Amino acid sequence: MEREALKAQLKKQIVEFLNLMQVKPEEIKDDEPLFGEGLGLDSIDSIELIVLLNREYGIDIKDPKEGRKVLVDVNTMVDYIEAHRTK
Amino acid sequence: MFYIHDIACISPQKTFSEIDIEHLNCPVGGKLPAIEPAYEGIPLNILRRMGKAVRMGVGAALTIAKQNAQGIIIGTANGGMEDCIRFLNQVIDYNEGVLTPTNFVQSTANAIASQIGLLTSNRGYNCTHVHRGLAFENAVLDTAMLLSENPSHRYLLGGIDEISAYNYNIEFLDGWFKKEKVAGKSLYQANTKGTIAGEGSVMLLAGKHANGASAQLMAIRMLHADDEQYIAGELKGFMAEHVSDAGDIDLFLSGENGDARLQKYYDACEAVLYKNVPVAHFKHASGEYATVTAFALWLACQAFQKQSLPQHFLKYRRAKKDFRKILIYNNYHGMQHSFMLIAKV
Repeated sequence: MEREALKAQLKKQIVEFLNLMQVKPEEIKDDEPLFGEGLGLDSIDSIELIVLLNREYGIDIKDPKEGRKVLVDVNTMVDYIEAHRTK
Repeated sequence: MFYIHDIACISPQKTFSEIDIEHLNCPVGGKLPAIEPAYEGIPLNILRRMGKAVRMGVGAALTIAKQNAQGIIIGTANGGMEDCIRFLNQVIDYNEGVLTPTNFVQSTANAIASQIGLLTSNRGYNCTHVHRGLAFENAVLDTAMLLSENPSHRYLLGGIDEISAYNYNIEFLDGWFKKEKVAGKSLYQANTKGTIAGEGSVMLLAGKHANGASAQLMAIRMLHADDEQYIAGELKGFMAEHVSDAGDIDLFLSGENGDARLQKYYDACEAVLYKNVPVAHFKHASGEYATVTAFALWLACQAFQKQSLPQHFLKYRRAKKDFRKILIYNNYHGMQHSFMLIAKV
């Protein structure tokens, strides 16, 4: 899958998994921070995102430090997916 | 027992903020879904995780909980059943692998009371009763006992249940919901088994002092039985204990739900009352669910306030009297029965 298509798919999955009722996938910027400022996600969302990566891309993040580097924005998530996906 | 100081209701009818119970919303596919408000008091980040039962419970509570309450007491038979099933399905679908926490957190029955506690910073008594068709009644009893011990306190008391696809399908297969389409008062004329599914949330502020109250819950009794003559006998005893004269009841709010198998209980209880006592039914408006007596209680408060009820609620158009005392009788699945006596303040 091309990188842009993967980004679009991931944004759609983030909105669905986290039930972001007032956010449209296309409104999420590639470099918009997921936590704090930006999308304003919290710690429970980070667990939901790790489950998303596991279910949709076969990626298993066990080290919290690694998770912090991956779950920064859509760009970092897509980088990680492209490098580690098993499905 | 206690006084009702404020009450809010989310139901399949227009019972929240702008109240209009004159015009009926009818069931769709055998279900009467609740009309949900915009929930402006709930932060979006919290709201997006809530299941319907939690949303309805918190949404109704926030209008009441602004007033100081010393504790939160909730009755719900199933809590967030829809989230519970979603979580359990994940266990199967993902082969007991990685699971998301949200559905689990939201699915527990006490999620409603705990979310209200968190959102209102209420660190007092927090308890959820889950006695199926008597869940709300047990919450009422708990509230009454707490107020006996702490007469200066006030408690937030609520009854909530949601329609979940899982529960509906199981209970449909078990014959508790009608196969044929019914709408409005035709529910009571079908003479078949089953009823229509409903859901809703009622929250009230209970206190021991009459000052500023709109109604008083005078007495409650719960029974487990399947013999209608025994139930009628218990009602006679209840009336003898709490009402000076059987004709002193201004309205009998009957929980009949159009299930031909259960009508004998309602008929037996009606026969205990004088023939001139007006009788009203309400499940064509609320649908059937385990904590529906909370809706009946809200309706009784409406009758006290307006001193009238829309015609579609009335079973018999008997001579109109002032609504000062209302008796509610309900049974759930023919086994769990309750009487509640409410008086206007």
